[in-house]
Amino acid sequence: MTGPIGKLGIGISCLITLALLLFPLFVKEEYYLNLIFLVSLYSILSHSWNVFGGLCGQISLGHAAFFGVGALSCRYAWIAGAPLPAALLMGGIGSVLVTCLVGIPTLKLRSHYFAIGTLAMAMIALITVQNQLPGVNFLPPELMAGYSVISRYYICVGVGLAAILFVGALKHSKIGLAMISIREDEDAAEAIGINIFRYKVVAMAISAFLAGLAGGLFAIYYVSFYRYIPFELTWSFDPLLITFIGGSGTVLGPVLGSLCYVILRETFALSMGQLSVIIFGAVFILIVLFFPKGLSGLIDKLHAGGPDSETEKQ
Amino acid sequence: MMSNALIWRWGSEQVKTFLQILSYGLMSGALYGLIALGLSLVFGVMSYLNVAHGALIILGAYLSFWLYQLWGIDPFPSILLVFPLFFALGLLLFKGLFAALMKFSEGDKIKNSLLISFGILLILPNTIILSWTPDERAVTTFYSGAVVDLLGWRLPYTGLATVALAVAVIAALHVFLTRTYFGKSIRAVSQDFEAAGYMGINVPRTYMVSFALGVALASIPGAIVALQGINPDLAFALPNKELIVVILAGVGSINGLLGAGLLLGLVEAMGVFFLGAAYREAVGLLLFVLFLVYRPQGLVGRKT
Repeated sequence: MTGPIGKLGIGISCLITLALLLFPLFVKEEYYLNLIFLVSLYSILSHSWNVFGGLCGQISLGHAAFFGVGALSCRYAWIAGAPLPAALLMGGIGSVLVTCLVGIPTLKLRSHYFAIGTLAMAMIALITVQNQLPGVNFLPPELMAGYSVISRYYICVGVGLAAILFVGALKHSKIGLAMISIREDEDAAEAIGINIFRYKVVAMAISAFLAGLAGGLFAIYYVSFYRYIPFELTWSFDPLLITFIGGSGTVLGPVLGSLCYVILRETFALSMGQLSVIIFGAVFILIVLFFPKGLSGLIDKLHAGGPDSETEKQ
Repeated sequence: MMSNALIWRWGSEQVKTFLQILSYGLMSGALYGLIALGLSLVFGVMSYLNVAHGALIILGAYLSFWLYQLWGIDPFPSILLVFPLFFALGLLLFKGLFAALMKFSEGDKIKNSLLISFGILLILPNTIILSWTPDERAVTTFYSGAVVDLLGWRLPYTGLATVALAVAVIAALHVFLTRTYFGKSIRAVSQDFEAAGYMGINVPRTYMVSFALGVALASIPGAIVALQGINPDLAFALPNKELIVVILAGVGSINGLLGAGLLLGLVEAMGVFFLGAAYREAVGLLLFVLFLVYRPQGLVGRKT
């Protein structure tokens, strides 16, 4: 099953991984480390959306709640004394637990009902946190003392790479194929004996876990933040935009999308302000209308006939 | 003073507050019905989920703000100017962006129209911010803030006008859809566009006009929102009210919209009274989720 990536692809991926690992040795400016950190964070969050929306076809607008619960669980675990990786894991687990409790009823909903139902859930979560947990969460001084950008960089890049490998493996596994069949035609999938509800729960749990990890990375990255910030609805919309721009249902798409998103935001948001969002919206509409497979589809087209173009079409 | 004394005898301060909150809830409920009107029409007829409808309402509100500011035209009559303008805008949007979705299956129509209108939702409010700054604005007329005082029970004129307008507009749309040839063709297309096509109805043209009508209907709540105060952020707050009302009414039900809007306004008012103003939105959303899960066909809809 190395077919879909190809030997060239594997070589390039290894080179990129090596470059990412060695990067902090040569580049000392924290600005660039932070950029890569953000790209990794958005890649993980977008892959979380991609598993649920791209593979399983459930357009979720509730990812802000997954992300926020992950962020707060990780933060509190970390402050309570858990080591960083354990705290991060707590973020993922906390998100899965809360999502399974609250999210499973929404799985009854189909297509657009699901999208707006999950959006409503995310809004309820945001309002509740704004009212129940007001104020800023500060990092205690003893944790502040040990704060280093480099260790966070490695954790984030490591989790990001693991997430990409995981989604790649998932997509070609039996579970992934079942999810894709649900996306293509729910009734037909059910008719051939796929337990739709079970695979939707699995997709949601994986998605919540990844989003919780991304939230955890947010929580260990920022020294202090208003507790409602990780619940803001932009954490629902950004992964959707990124995944569609990069290529929905693909393994590389969310990463390419995150790269574009972070670079565009960094270069244009400061100089052009609102205009950057307008350009982003226009690009998004053009992609939906003319390149429904996103950037990764475009790359496939460029070397048409490559092994990629076949697998992505399925 | 007299009237206050009467109310004191009539009931406690609590009752007075309750009635006051209740009536404000119903008045905002009428507005909710109006803002959901265009969205529901477009969603019901052609399965396009236009999440940018709120942004269009805000644009309409800004237009009536400027019409008042520059030429002193009152927001209510200005609807007559903005409505045809928005109809043309709707035609343009349909031709440019949404016509391409007509050939898709129902699920893909919803998904792609959601995504495209989401792009519009990013573009419009930010264009408004760029052109007219993010400042909060409001049209202040001679009747702004004026109230009818019924024994200490205070009802603002704009709120009463909103209720009257909502009833009138929804009734007019009902008559249009049930009594005119074109209205009937819209309903036919929404029931079964293939069969409607065989009966000689021009389906693409019906789609185009319904979409434009949906956009034009955004101008009506726009005028009221302009009186209450507008800022570009409302473009993101309105869609959830619209969606809640559309689902409460039942997808495609125009007649149910007023009742659904009032129900939402009422439930929000109860939330304000019993839980506090901070939970106003949350209570409405909770009602929405309950409806989605247990009664997706809405208040008056039949189960399919």
